[in-house]
Amino acid sequence: MAKLTLEELRKMREAGKKQIDTRQTHGKEIFVVIGMGTCGIAAGAKSVLNAFIAKLDEKGITDAVVKQTGCMGLCHSEPTVEIKMPGMPDTIYGKVDAALVDQLIDEHILGKKLVSGHIIDRPAGDIMK
Amino acid sequence: MHHSIGDMIADCLQNSVEANASRIVLTVSETPQWLDVRIEDNGKGMSDEEMKRATDPFYTDGVKHKHRKVGLGLPFLIQTVEATDSTWNLRSKKGEGTILSFRLNLRHIDLPPVGDLPLAFFSAMIFDGSYELVIHRSYNGSCETEYTVTRSELKEALGSFEDAEALALLKQFLTDQESDIKEIKNGEINTGRTAQNARSREKTD
Repeated sequence: MAKLTLEELRKMREAGKKQIDTRQTHGKEIFVVIGMGTCGIAAGAKSVLNAFIAKLDEKGITDAVVKQTGCMGLCHSEPTVEIKMPGMPDTIYGKVDAALVDQLIDEHILGKKLVSGHIIDRPAGDIMK
Repeated sequence: MHHSIGDMIADCLQNSVEANASRIVLTVSETPQWLDVRIEDNGKGMSDEEMKRATDPFYTDGVKHKHRKVGLGLPFLIQTVEATDSTWNLRSKKGEGTILSFRLNLRHIDLPPVGDLPLAFFSAMIFDGSYELVIHRSYNGSCETEYTVTRSELKEALGSFEDAEALALLKQFLTDQESDIKEIKNGEINTGRTAQNARSREKTD
């Protein structure tokens, strides 16, 4: 079975970029930061990362930047996700799973409404990365 | 304990990134019996004393996690190794880098599933920074196959690792590279023809 080559990957990226140019974007960037320390990984952060990548791409949200960080000092509430975007307060959500990712994208990112039940307090600055 | 071997590999790779390595080489070689993993980085390295502490679950350096009393990355791995007749080795030199290697016994009933290795590789690729990550992956069972992926080449092909579309393509690419190995392993499971079974059949014939 022939596997994808780097050249094919480059072409797929270029084809995608052309499509992006024709889509309407929000114009400003949305940052999704996923905690990927030992605690996050043990609690399932990799499935959350996977779900964010798949759903953001599926919904055509092209102005979102997905990043990983280490332990945020919130091991009790992993997997954690921080969403920073214009028009919304920087918010950390805890105990996130793949199902909640859908809700976060639909309600927080697209609907600009906080998703209750999963918001957690930001830890003291001295234990943030 | 981590849910899968992929999680353990991702965790150890994150240690290398956090040790400010500019080059990390991951080798994952698999047979039906063994999974050999080696992570070599040129990060800040550890002294003998620090190495001893890194394997202690009730110790963390106080820099990476202030006010926290535990560091569980390596201890999770060691716990798994000790429970499954496997082996591990850690070598490090302060200021030069670290080599972590482990050989896991895939036939041990207590070994967690291997899990989604392309997802672990993907996660290790997209940390911030300009580090190089080279991944050599091979399988030697009823057939032999291997592939190598390099972070700088992938980043150059995609332009960046930030927007969701680039990340989705990266994930797709890494999953695709693993497809041959997946196919061979599925074939071995379906026919019961693992390399080990084949060898034991030869002996009895």
